[in-house]
Amino acid sequence: MSTILRVDGLKKSYGNLEALKGISFEVGEGEIFALIGPNGAGKTTTLRIIATLLSPSGGQAEVLGFDLKKHPDKIREKISYLPEEAGAYRNLRGTDYLKFMANFYADTPGEAEAFIKRALAIADLGPRLNEKVGTYSKGMVRKLLLARALMTKPALAILDEPTSGLDVINSLEVREIIKRFAKEGISVLLSSHNMLEIEFLSDRVALIDRGLILDSGTSGGLKDKYEAPNLEVVFRSAVR
Amino acid sequence: MKKFKNLLVKEVRELVTKQLIVSLVMTMLLFYFIGNLAKTEMKRAQAVQKISVMDLDRTPVSEGLTGSLKSANFEIDWVKGDDTEAAVQEARKGDSNLLLVIPKGFGESVGRLEPAQVSTYTFLRSFSVSGIRKSEILKAVVSATNKYLSDDILRKELPAVPPETLKTPIRSRDFVIVKDRMAEGSAAAISGFVYSQSVFLPIILFMIILYSSQMVISAIAMEKQNKTLETLLTVPIPRSSIVTAKMTAAGLVGLLSAAIYMVGMRSFMGGMMGDMGSGAGMGPVIEQLGLTMNGTGYLLLGVSLFFAILVALAMATILGVLAEDFRAAQSLILPIVLLAMIPYMLSFFSDVNTLPLPIKLFVLAIPFSHPFLATPNILLGNIGAVIYGILYMMAVFAVLIIIAARIFSTDRVLTMKLRWRKKPVVL
Repeated sequence: MSTILRVDGLKKSYGNLEALKGISFEVGEGEIFALIGPNGAGKTTTLRIIATLLSPSGGQAEVLGFDLKKHPDKIREKISYLPEEAGAYRNLRGTDYLKFMANFYADTPGEAEAFIKRALAIADLGPRLNEKVGTYSKGMVRKLLLARALMTKPALAILDEPTSGLDVINSLEVREIIKRFAKEGISVLLSSHNMLEIEFLSDRVALIDRGLILDSGTSGGLKDKYEAPNLEVVFRSAVR
Repeated sequence: MKKFKNLLVKEVRELVTKQLIVSLVMTMLLFYFIGNLAKTEMKRAQAVQKISVMDLDRTPVSEGLTGSLKSANFEIDWVKGDDTEAAVQEARKGDSNLLLVIPKGFGESVGRLEPAQVSTYTFLRSFSVSGIRKSEILKAVVSATNKYLSDDILRKELPAVPPETLKTPIRSRDFVIVKDRMAEGSAAAISGFVYSQSVFLPIILFMIILYSSQMVISAIAMEKQNKTLETLLTVPIPRSSIVTAKMTAAGLVGLLSAAIYMVGMRSFMGGMMGDMGSGAGMGPVIEQLGLTMNGTGYLLLGVSLFFAILVALAMATILGVLAEDFRAAQSLILPIVLLAMIPYMLSFFSDVNTLPLPIKLFVLAIPFSHPFLATPNILLGNIGAVIYGILYMMAVFAVLIIIAARIFSTDRVLTMKLRWRKKPVVL
């Protein structure tokens, strides 16, 4: 399994506040790697740095061998990012939004069409896709955004709380979609508060707290190591 | 280029909402409607006017006066009787807005070379321009009659001397000099004519600056409020293209909005001013003084306007980053409004060259002052000042666009916020 993302000693400070104190991890091809931790642990900051939104204060990160600081434009071609609190343009119809986003990644009109076709299948919103995004429910917007994130089959999908705000049924659907795309070779870096979700989705997990990775491994391996029945107990034990 | 076009089309679609179209169309229709109404009123004021006249004198002199009224397009409604109070009451009930009372002995007084008096009553039924114009026309008629009578008397009494020589022994020939050119004419009339020809330019410029700036600030603020900015910043398109697309879309929609507003306003002003601003007969004098804009002048003016808009858009881009949401964006336009307002007001009331040096330097340091000053400078041949203004705006734009590009290429685009109270950083 080749390495898609390599993070080495990544640091980020906001003034005197050290949000990341030097974290390291790797994500392989087709692997789902999850960051779990409490609010303010540094999960979103890590994801935003790898998504080229924030510049790191120290350390290194590479996506497919491209250095984050030197080649952010190259990295943007290989990744897609779904922020926790994301929205779509309210005045655009669902299909127009997907077309707008597809045109940034496609080299030909045919390729754009293929992206949109895939997105329509992922979103599964039927005729509602011809209506303006402003009329969608929160769940519909989230599915549209997930479809946008996965339609280009990026080398690395960065998903921050992918099921945030979704009901049980929609959450299950979204998890299945992510799992299916990972099997097709897309690497996924995600963060979540939902330990059940992490157990279901991830191949490997990193426990992050106060800007440091406390431990990492498979869900099963971590549960064995800490003799814990679930990841919540694992996390509590690791923090202690 | 394909990706930029994709982004530009999206930006334009985001800006051109149904609300914007409806508000523009409604405003234009409103201006057009009011302008046409004013035009109709003015035409009515210039058409045949009714005037009630009570002639208690009935002499050739009084008949001369009423004859002049007929010549001035007045339709006379004769009031019978000899009671002025009753005449006022009768005229008030009728549809004429004017009453002229010529007293008994009017002709005799004129004959004896004693001041003769007539009374005019204007029924002020509204405060409209047309109502005021009617009484002005009547005054002009009385004045013309005065001239006719006095000339007649002077010709009889002193046949050897032309009346004009007696009435105006001193005459003035007015000359106006602009740079090295001279022409005969009134400075006030020439200034008024030039002003009437260029009065719309500052209004257009002011509106474009405000519209475009507001659109850029709102567009960036809306991206933040709707949580679309983060996604947009991770797509494979240069950050500079994101900035440029927003500025271009806002500039285009701003220009379009301003053009639509100006068509409406021109119709409104045309109706209000009628022919007053056309300055009939001024053409040759203006030509002689070189106060006309040639091709180079228009080009310089266009370049000056273009750079002013670019400066406004670049400023708005930086301010837009500071806005956390659409509501905050509304107040962030204030610095641009103030900077545009100062030269805008000055262009109406003052001449920057006559201001004290510190104030003059302050005004010239405002980039938006230069396009406001461009028209008078071009007409007066101060081309150097116009070019200096353009170069200055280019420099300001370059600095602002570098700052904007740096903000967008770093994480400041997400972390920069204008906060009145310090809040903890949310990770």
